[in-house]
Amino acid sequence: MDLLLSAAQVILAPDALLAVLAGSLLGVVFGAIPGLTFTVAMALVVPMSFSLAAAPAIALLLGTYIGGMTGGSVSAILLGIPGTPSAAATVLDGYQLTRRGKASLALGTAVVASAFGGIVSLLVMVASVDTVAKLALRFGPAETFGLLLFGLSTICGLAQKSLLKGLIAGVLGLLVMTVGIDEMEGVQRLTFGTIVLQQGISLLVAMIALFAVPHVIDAFVTHYTEDRRPEAIADVRAELPTLRDLAKHFWLMLRCALLGTGIGSIPGTGGPIAAFLAYAHARKSSKTPERFGRGDMGGVVAPETANNAVTGGAMIPLLSLGIPGDPATAILLSGLLIHGLIPGPMLFIEHPGEIYQIYLAIIIAYAAVVAIQLLGIRFFVQLLRVPAHLLAVGIIIMCAYGAFAIRNSVFDVVMVALLGALAYGLQRVSIPLTPIILGLVLGPSIEREFRTALILSDGDPSIFVASIPGVIFIGLTALIVGAQILRATRASLNARRTEENSHASVTSSE
Amino acid sequence: MKTRTLTSALLSSVIAVGLVGTGSQARAEFPEKPVEMTILFGSTAQTIGQLLADLMSKNLPEPVVPVSRAGGGGAVGYQYVQSTDADGYNIVWNSNSISTSYHGGRIDFDYTAFEPIAKISVEVPAIAVRADSGWDSLTDMAADIKEKGTKLKVGASGKGSFTHLTTEAILASQGLTDMAVHVPYDQGRAPVELIAGRLDAAVQWPGQFISHHEAGTLKILCVTSAKRIGQLPDVPTCEESGAEGMDITMWRGLAAPAGTPMEVITKLEAAAKAAAESDEFKEAAQTIGFELDFADHATFGELIARDDADIAKLLEDVGLKAQ
Repeated sequence: MDLLLSAAQVILAPDALLAVLAGSLLGVVFGAIPGLTFTVAMALVVPMSFSLAAAPAIALLLGTYIGGMTGGSVSAILLGIPGTPSAAATVLDGYQLTRRGKASLALGTAVVASAFGGIVSLLVMVASVDTVAKLALRFGPAETFGLLLFGLSTICGLAQKSLLKGLIAGVLGLLVMTVGIDEMEGVQRLTFGTIVLQQGISLLVAMIALFAVPHVIDAFVTHYTEDRRPEAIADVRAELPTLRDLAKHFWLMLRCALLGTGIGSIPGTGGPIAAFLAYAHARKSSKTPERFGRGDMGGVVAPETANNAVTGGAMIPLLSLGIPGDPATAILLSGLLIHGLIPGPMLFIEHPGEIYQIYLAIIIAYAAVVAIQLLGIRFFVQLLRVPAHLLAVGIIIMCAYGAFAIRNSVFDVVMVALLGALAYGLQRVSIPLTPIILGLVLGPSIEREFRTALILSDGDPSIFVASIPGVIFIGLTALIVGAQILRATRASLNARRTEENSHASVTSSE
Repeated sequence: MKTRTLTSALLSSVIAVGLVGTGSQARAEFPEKPVEMTILFGSTAQTIGQLLADLMSKNLPEPVVPVSRAGGGGAVGYQYVQSTDADGYNIVWNSNSISTSYHGGRIDFDYTAFEPIAKISVEVPAIAVRADSGWDSLTDMAADIKEKGTKLKVGASGKGSFTHLTTEAILASQGLTDMAVHVPYDQGRAPVELIAGRLDAAVQWPGQFISHHEAGTLKILCVTSAKRIGQLPDVPTCEESGAEGMDITMWRGLAAPAGTPMEVITKLEAAAKAAAESDEFKEAAQTIGFELDFADHATFGELIARDDADIAKLLEDVGLKAQ
């Protein structure tokens, strides 16, 4: 208790408090602008944190991390362009809600769900960091592969009318992520002997291209081809969700928060995977699954809760084992290191006070993020008043800048244009974009875990079912895939039968 | 309307300031504009580089700006800096990766495309095993493995990476080359896989092991440098542990494109020296886990050349040498 109080004293001191607030604000802004991500924001903040004392430095980084994670939902909902990869699943229903004039409601719900997810994951971490860390240890490459495969199979059921087109899209996603140096074998893949392709295609670049560019092209095409009818001014009321609206989703939020914490605590997974899994779960458990993809609030609540729960989940292996789960936590790790806090089991023994400071900083950051976003909603929604083609100009500039900022490479800007044009073409031939994203997000992890597992087992595939989690996940995957194939064949058989019937009726009438 | 006037006023004042700024310093001595420091990797390399740039800025009239150009195991950043003008405004936070990139066939120019400025630090790989493995030295480990006849699973970063080459050198020193499997891991997962029992040993940077070493779950067998390191004074060197003559370290330093004028090099060297010898940098060395080891441009140049030959041989031994 003394420790908690003294930690509170440090973290509630003006400098630390200001650092959390500044970090949260910066994170929200970077997260909210399509193209800019919080990973970039954190990289910018790290040098600033050098000269600060430990508590404000960590507070600043945590604030940026958390602000960015929640901020990603803003552009996902308003523009249909995820501010961060973790918000990609939020687009599916969030953007539809905006089209139906419920932008502010969706934004408000998203931020509350985010904070809920974050706080639940923090509580889980505080209560059971050791247990969760031990459980996470049992997830080796084989088990993680099983989990990812299970995720892929669940998510594949999302929003696809044609299995074939879904597969084409998924494989395209996998293909794009293959470009570059294969980190395991050190060999070049699809680089055509050039140095520039060795850097590979950044996930962020691909995301920007897939979501933002088709959107922008669409906006221009509509502007120049369609009759200039006076645009129906979008509904920009700043309507906030009531407590009762939120309570409706309480159990869903709780389930998704636990799911996100679990996924986050397993290294090699991450926010986007958790968000898509949560979305799939929400649709499956919904009484009205047909409303998903057309603007169901559950489709915003689930991914937003889960991706923020990942922040707490990812802190578990980071703090207790010293392994960063994603680029953002890797930056956090160096921030901790530079202030003499070496994550790992000894951190909890040698620096319990700092651990409490971290916990408190997370809580304050969430409070700040909720305040910033709820206040900000009335300004965010004004964006919808801007004519689509003008907004498109702004978006394309931010995306080009954002793509460049990731690693200061013009190549990335060119890739946004190329992949974006490709994405627009795919959209025109109605190949869905969501499976491409899944290929992008899951592909590299699945490949890495699969290969590592086989190296460990000396090429023996039985390693994938050699442990209980492995058996469970592979079994579930087989069930889901089997059920999907069954449903697909039955549907096509039915379709053929009705077709035959209709033929019959046509001939008989003649 | 009001906002528009305000914006244009702001814009013009910014331009005006910019003009005055460049005008007054025309034909001044180096540096008359910010120096860009390309950083090739994330994590530790980036943190040290950012800190160094920050401290160097205090010793130069213009700031040193760290710019991350990660990707392709350093190839992208090296190519960028190599193609810039040799005027000292583009420098690279380099490492042995110049040699691994060249000999691995990722870039078509070698270390001679750069003018060394100064060596700043070294990082020393360490090999760790589980505390309950019963192995206290490399010799113990080798004897046990040979007796059991099972393969040793060693985790390190991907093939051709520095920790992988170190692994191969350690294995070769114990005659275990054919008795081991290299398991590539990213993002520092190897220590955890070791704790979980899926690996028998791991070669990584000490910072990733220290907490587990102190907590008693892992044991760091040895560090690969010729001398013990400041962060782990009680851990023997690999030579003490049974690997004769082993001295493998990864240096980091600064370099500029070949042909950069000597007076520019010496100015940057002086700024780097002041930064490296500051208290802040010394403190960071302890907390982040690297050894401060400043050397001037001449000594650094000799080291790079010597190291390049060593790395070429290591890569050839494991069959990864491409040119």
